[in-house]
Amino acid sequence: MKELSPQPAQENQEQLTAHLAKKSHELRNALACIRQFGNILADGLAGELSDEQREYVAIMLEKASTIRRVLDSSLDGSAGLLEVATNKIDRPSKVGMAHA
Amino acid sequence: MPNMRLLVVDDNAALRKGLSVRLRANGYEVLFAEDAISATAVILMERPDLVILDLGLPGGDGFDVMERLHRSDPLAKIPVIVLTGREVAGNRNRALQAGAAAFFQKPTEDGTLLSTIRSALNMSRDRSHLGESSISC
Repeated sequence: MKELSPQPAQENQEQLTAHLAKKSHELRNALACIRQFGNILADGLAGELSDEQREYVAIMLEKASTIRRVLDSSLDGSAGLLEVATNKIDRPSKVGMAHA
Repeated sequence: MPNMRLLVVDDNAALRKGLSVRLRANGYEVLFAEDAISATAVILMERPDLVILDLGLPGGDGFDVMERLHRSDPLAKIPVIVLTGREVAGNRNRALQAGAAAFFQKPTEDGTLLSTIRSALNMSRDRSHLGESSISC
């Protein structure tokens, strides 16, 4: 009986990983746009909103946060919502302390 | 810090637009580039105070842009903040090693990004002042 090579399974895994990374990238860019413009509206940078409009935008942003959580926990396999790493910069809290 | 000029490099027009609204509302002048080649050209011609750089770009990528910057001493001093939709694993450390001042994965919080921009500009200004005083001594 001929033994099956593990190679195809590994290739499939790599393809799946690359596919998920691409989809994650596309979703993150789209989500960044939704959040960016939602926050612009919520902060009144495009004009004052009525109470009703403000409520709708808040719902939109809340649902965008839900999508982000799903994205972080499933596609990326990461629990962090925001990955920030600083190299040469002090974190804002440290800068604030230094100025205090 | 008045009249600080930030270059936003991203191939996504909607993201450039959204980010520019937020940055202008915070008093920054905003320049744009949508690919790696024009990013390098704008940096050379305009000498922005800070660059917000996507990694996935036409005509190269964000790492190419950072590599070109670091070939020139004056340009290497311009702080670069990476803002990308790419996965953190592999890209974060690579970006920081390439000289990025900070790495953010999209979507990011506006407040955190703005705080980091302010910190990077402050540090860049302080370094610049130190350099000037050493020369005058």
